[in-house]
Amino acid sequence: MRRSLLLSIPFVLGGAGALTAQSIADRVNAVRDGIVRMSFSSRPGVCGDGMGSVWTRNARGDTWRACVSGPIRVAIGRDNGSTISVRTRVGGQWSASASETDLGQVSPEDAARYFLRLTRELSGGGRNANDAMTAAVFADAGDISPELAGLVRDRDVALETRKQALFWFGQGDAPTKTLVGLYDNLDAQSLREHFTFVVSQRRDNEAIDKLIDIARGDRDSDVRKQAMFWLGQTKDPRAIKFFHDILVP
Amino acid sequence: MRQFVLAAALTAAVAPSSPGQTLAQRVLRADGIVEVIYPSKPSVCGDGRGTISGLFGRSMYFSGAGGDNAVWNRGNASNRSCEPGPARAVVSVSSGEITRIRAYVGPRPADTRGVTTIETSAAEAAAWLTDLVARNESRVASDAMLPLLLANAPEPWPTFLRVARDSSRSRGIRHAALGWLGQGVSARLGIADSEDDTPDDEMRSQAVFVLSQRPKGESVPDLIELARSPKHPSARRAAIFWLGQTGDPRAADVFADLLGLR
Repeated sequence: MRRSLLLSIPFVLGGAGALTAQSIADRVNAVRDGIVRMSFSSRPGVCGDGMGSVWTRNARGDTWRACVSGPIRVAIGRDNGSTISVRTRVGGQWSASASETDLGQVSPEDAARYFLRLTRELSGGGRNANDAMTAAVFADAGDISPELAGLVRDRDVALETRKQALFWFGQGDAPTKTLVGLYDNLDAQSLREHFTFVVSQRRDNEAIDKLIDIARGDRDSDVRKQAMFWLGQTKDPRAIKFFHDILVP
Repeated sequence: MRQFVLAAALTAAVAPSSPGQTLAQRVLRADGIVEVIYPSKPSVCGDGRGTISGLFGRSMYFSGAGGDNAVWNRGNASNRSCEPGPARAVVSVSSGEITRIRAYVGPRPADTRGVTTIETSAAEAAAWLTDLVARNESRVASDAMLPLLLANAPEPWPTFLRVARDSSRSRGIRHAALGWLGQGVSARLGIADSEDDTPDDEMRSQAVFVLSQRPKGESVPDLIELARSPKHPSARRAAIFWLGQTGDPRAADVFADLLGLR
């Protein structure tokens, strides 16, 4: 009961969001040629300089650069009715331009859903998909990890896009157990290699266990080696024991 | 007169052997490029352009332009021309100082204009190169190691060990000596060509690499233990290699033991 209730809430929210996200899509698609731009509020801790540099505020702080925490600004290039470019910036201001279509400030939730959908549609991956996903991830839109997990699992999505979604999933607040659960869906070797890095960034017991598990049992030796490499970087005593165990059986 | 001088400079010159002059003096007397030719170890071959094989198992070394004298890999040399010696140490001399040495084995370049050639015995070449390794304070000491190893002369490990243990020498020179000592140890133990034949071997070699990347205080004792352990030859070879790369003075003691030189 609890499970079906929990499942139904995102579904309803997703449905409502889809309508508004759809309205962003409609407004973008209405522009046949030219640039469409929009802005929306950023997730707390996301910093930018308005020129393309983006970083997240860490616990140590960064005294070298002022953190401009928003808004997220996205410019979408349209050509003959198709989206041909996506460029995402954090902070800064638009230059005055009468020729561009400005959607103004949009809801970050709607923007996140729109850009996740756009990420999926930009089938070739590349910088445009990268910037579209960044826009979604940086939007102040709550938990989008289920959508990111969906991208990771979807074999019809470009591999680079799946890798990027995996990265952002790992950087998010989803529990390590959930991240670990994605491994079984990773069909491509390069995706599993990337997974070893992503999970290594968690530095908790479940992450170490999974890396040891991969180092022992992944079907591909390159993935196993990569898992060993990241295990070595953790400095965890269990990792060191693992190495000793395989060297001195 | 001017034309005569130019013509002389453009023609390869064989430096005459003057009585009482050492090889070092003859090299330094000839400003510019000097090639010292001497008999190489019988196992060694090369393409004449810097690629050298047969020194330690199937390892290949590259000493040509654009590379350092000690860059090696374990590639398949079967598709490359590999001709036997002699060895050539090509020396750049400027204002009475050696600035660079590169080692070659195999065919000489067709165009040797402006190059002074000195032919000598393996023993004399080894003595000269040993002195450079032992005393020179610049990169030339490291440069001289490969041509010294190529000479058909007794192995220079005692000299390399002294250099590796000498804290007054630069870190780069001590590292280079340790790196070559590691190669020599693997060859002496008969594991220079030990490959990762099984997936387990592959994983063990990777484990050695990963352990080697940890801070020296933790990695060196592990690498020493593995270097001494004969159980898994390819992992042992990897441990010896990475131990040589640490530059840690404890590695010299282990290598001395394994070379029977302690």
